[in-house]
Amino acid sequence: MPPYARLSALAALGLVLLAVCAGGSPPAAVARSAPAAGAPATGSDQPAEVFHSTRTYDEVAAPVRLRIPALKVNSKVQLLGLQHDGTIAVPARTDVAGWYEYGPRPGQAGPAVILGHVDSQAGPGIFINLYRVPIGTPVTVDRADGTSVTFKITKVTRVPKVQFPTDLVYAPTLDPTLRLVTCGGSFDPARRSYRDNVIAFAEPA
Amino acid sequence: MYAKYAAAPSAADLAIQLEALLGQHSVLAADLMRSRIRGDDDFVQAANAALGKNTAAMSALVAQLFGQATADKFSPMWSEHVVALFSYAGALAAQDNAAKEDAKKDLVEYEQELGDFFAGASHGRLPQAAARAAIVMHVGHLTGQADAYAAKNYAVSDELYRVGYQHTYDLGLTLANALLPAADRATLQQPLWRLRSQLGKLLAEHAALVEDLTRSAVTRSPDFAASGDMINGNTKDITAAIDTLFGAAAARQFQSLWGDHVEQLVAYSSATADSDKAKQEQAMTAMSGIEKKMGAFLAGATSKRMSTPALTAALQQHDKMLMKHADAYGAKDYATAHDVAYDTYQQMFDLARKMADAFGATVAARLPRGGAQTGFGGMAAVVEKR
Repeated sequence: MPPYARLSALAALGLVLLAVCAGGSPPAAVARSAPAAGAPATGSDQPAEVFHSTRTYDEVAAPVRLRIPALKVNSKVQLLGLQHDGTIAVPARTDVAGWYEYGPRPGQAGPAVILGHVDSQAGPGIFINLYRVPIGTPVTVDRADGTSVTFKITKVTRVPKVQFPTDLVYAPTLDPTLRLVTCGGSFDPARRSYRDNVIAFAEPA
Repeated sequence: MYAKYAAAPSAADLAIQLEALLGQHSVLAADLMRSRIRGDDDFVQAANAALGKNTAAMSALVAQLFGQATADKFSPMWSEHVVALFSYAGALAAQDNAAKEDAKKDLVEYEQELGDFFAGASHGRLPQAAARAAIVMHVGHLTGQADAYAAKNYAVSDELYRVGYQHTYDLGLTLANALLPAADRATLQQPLWRLRSQLGKLLAEHAALVEDLTRSAVTRSPDFAASGDMINGNTKDITAAIDTLFGAAAARQFQSLWGDHVEQLVAYSSATADSDKAKQEQAMTAMSGIEKKMGAFLAGATSKRMSTPALTAALQQHDKMLMKHADAYGAKDYATAHDVAYDTYQQMFDLARKMADAFGATVAARLPRGGAQTGFGGMAAVVEKR
């Protein structure tokens, strides 16, 4: 559109605004037009009788299996709650993953959290190689209703447990994300615990 | 009296307000185009005035966020694309294909100009192609919903109305991420800011969609069923958000009350159309009960971080504004209807901010503490070397 035409069009809408403010009649630029073919006709039904609010929503089912082919992970998913000291419970077996059941379900809006052990007292655990999972790696979670959702890894980080980023891992947003958590770093024999956690962040694929 | 000591709003605050104004722009522009197609010129003018107010507010925010020079360039460009959208709807109304093609050409031109403007202002953070694509999509949603509306395909039109709102709202974050300094961009990614933005989007959309539904109820227009589907989609999304925050049982309880709230607003609007005072009173009494129940429910969900009286009062105000909107629209007082609608949208966005803070704090208080004990040391020799 040439500049002069733009100005005319702008002026037309500007005049409309002025006319409304001054209580005047609309200018020619928006002069009354005949209704188009699509103009609505009056309906006959009583809106109050025909409208019903929805009473259901798309509830996402709980996770039952975790699959990460790149890490040779294919595991049932156990439900995890909280321990008495307020820390998260951990899977009972080192070859099984666990989902934090008081947080969002995988694929639901919000950050879903799945834990796995890095090792047992004698050998590797299910997340022994989580620290080196490549960015972009697909992670699939199967759910109790037969559906599944796939995420891709976006970032892997290692943090001291004493500085665990609770906010970034668990705090609620409505972004449907997944966090995978295991142990890493040096082992403290006195406490029988690794000093760090490895966290893999994932987004819907 | 303490206003002069109040801290200036942060860049993150301004950015989420920009998101809200952009979302509002989308619904106002769609409403303007639809009224032009209907040949409802009084409504056109009131919608245009509301759009002008929205553009002015957005330009002021752009100046605060990105500087006056950027705002001075943004404002006329933004207004021009509104004019082109108006011309497009006019061509649809007149069934003038040549004029429609002309308007399309203008829109393509503005899409490129606006896209290039945002890409330039981002100093390379927002690629030109991505910026243009975002604006093309925005315009596509608006012209698409207008095409479908003119063809009486209200289901498709309303689907695009919702998608267009959501996309344009999110465009605010895209722009903020491209134009703001790194520290502000990082703030916007923090969970609390994400929740403020996301709840704001859902609840402000509720205000816009319930107004669309009650307008349709007051005039018994044939897009009523599609509009009902639209608000039900929003209700499902808000309920899903409550599920994320407080679990499925709370979500079901919330949805029951929220659904009643929408139904009573439709009942009130329908009674307004019939000038049936008794039914209006009946709906108002029902709404009053729902406001109290919802206030108590949300206060409980937030462990009293928001009080029942404060929440009930906020919900009462919301309902009163929506009834006033329906009354004004029914009386063809479109200027008042648009003024009220504008304020209702803002009120709901502000309430969403308070809710996000209370919801976020409630959930944060019960999150697991510290790290996870997910190792026994059997592979320590290997793990420690990594």
